[in-house]
Amino acid sequence: MEIRKCILFFLLSLFFFSALPALAGEVRLSIAASMTDVIKELVSSFGKEHPEVFILPNFASSGSLAKQIVQGAPADLYISANQKWMDYLVQEDKIVAATVQVFAYNSLVFLGRKNPQVRTLGDLTTLSLIAIGSPKSVPAGQYAAQAMEAAGVYEQLAQEHKLVMAKDVRQALIYADRGEVDGAFVYRTDGLLAQNAVVLFAVPAGLHDRIAYPLGLTHAGTTNSEAQAFMAYLKSPEAVKILNRYGFEEAVTEQ
Amino acid sequence: MLSLTPQDIEAIALSVKVATAATLLSLPFGFAAAYLLVFTRIPGRAVLEGVVNLPLVLPPVVVGYLLLLLFGQSGVLGPVVHFLDIRIIFTLKGAVIASAVVGFPLLVRSIRIGMEGIDDQYIQAARTLGAQWWDILSTIIFPLCGRAILAGMTLMFARSLGEFGATIILAGNIPGITQTIPLAIYEYTNTPGGDGMALSLCLVSIGLSFVVLLISEATARSFRKR
Repeated sequence: MEIRKCILFFLLSLFFFSALPALAGEVRLSIAASMTDVIKELVSSFGKEHPEVFILPNFASSGSLAKQIVQGAPADLYISANQKWMDYLVQEDKIVAATVQVFAYNSLVFLGRKNPQVRTLGDLTTLSLIAIGSPKSVPAGQYAAQAMEAAGVYEQLAQEHKLVMAKDVRQALIYADRGEVDGAFVYRTDGLLAQNAVVLFAVPAGLHDRIAYPLGLTHAGTTNSEAQAFMAYLKSPEAVKILNRYGFEEAVTEQ
Repeated sequence: MLSLTPQDIEAIALSVKVATAATLLSLPFGFAAAYLLVFTRIPGRAVLEGVVNLPLVLPPVVVGYLLLLLFGQSGVLGPVVHFLDIRIIFTLKGAVIASAVVGFPLLVRSIRIGMEGIDDQYIQAARTLGAQWWDILSTIIFPLCGRAILAGMTLMFARSLGEFGATIILAGNIPGITQTIPLAIYEYTNTPGGDGMALSLCLVSIGLSFVVLLISEATARSFRKR
């Protein structure tokens, strides 16, 4: 009799605890790692005007997030650091194509230990270890690989095993900041957060695709009014000011 | 279905290299530690036992992070590493050290069980005949725990093949240098469309572990025949 009561209590409490999350109005975000800090601030300033909305951000490399969404991870809004992963999700019918638009722009820099000898991409071959986000899933790594290929150094660096693959651009930043690698390819916005490493040079924008951050709503997101409210907030002048403060260039919408 | 890129073949070769190196490197230390714990009464045995067993209960990521703090540029042993002009972080050495540290408790545990199973009468008889401790060690203890040593090595080798957390923190993910099979699989699981490749590598990993187990069983059986 005692055991039965215990099991009944356990099952009832499970039921009650599992019902709770569904009651709150919540928005799930899947955000490219490079936007971690700016989105956290945008979420908190949005929360001041809409305290009843519960926003759950998930930060990772754009490729990993795309994979998670395809495998059924719940998300309302997705921001990618390149067009490739957004197109992939539209193709897989996970993102509603009509909601996709570019949100911000960024640029790529190479930062690392202070070294006056390293001023261009060609000088990279003199270093022994360079961190980039894994080009298979991290846009920052893809842009970096593109630029290095255009400069003709990628093949050599890869063959000499000088490239350390980071799981997202923030990990590449940490490697450079800690001094474990000679330098890393990160976004200009990430470079502003570095504490020990310095920006050695900016990567010429012509060597890679324009670094654009498209955002889009999933099917679940289009039925979620709070998600749409947050998306509208991201385009407001207040949000643009926050974006600029973190170093992002806002997307000018054609009228 | 089983399509492996050259990078995958590199990862497989690297896994075997790292696991072999880690096992062989740890063997003398593991044997010494087990001997100290079983046959001696030195003070601080309890502490030694705790330290040896620590990597077994700590999350591998914690082990990796502690090793990073030890061997890193600004780490505790940083000046020593600089002085000797060797790099540990993000090198093959780092991957070997990570696997060696994580697998060490398993090796010691197995050898200890073997040593504890040796009939004390043999050792006492040897002592009455006037044998010194190194004589006893090489003629009685070592041959009699041969199977246990082998079992420990197999266990450690298999564990090293699958080591991920400490390796990725200490050695990083460098294709061709430190990207072992688990790291390669992890990279594929992060890549949309990489499931087929991840599965291929998983099958290779399972196959490798099977081969290791079969070899260990065969050698153990040949020991028994003697």
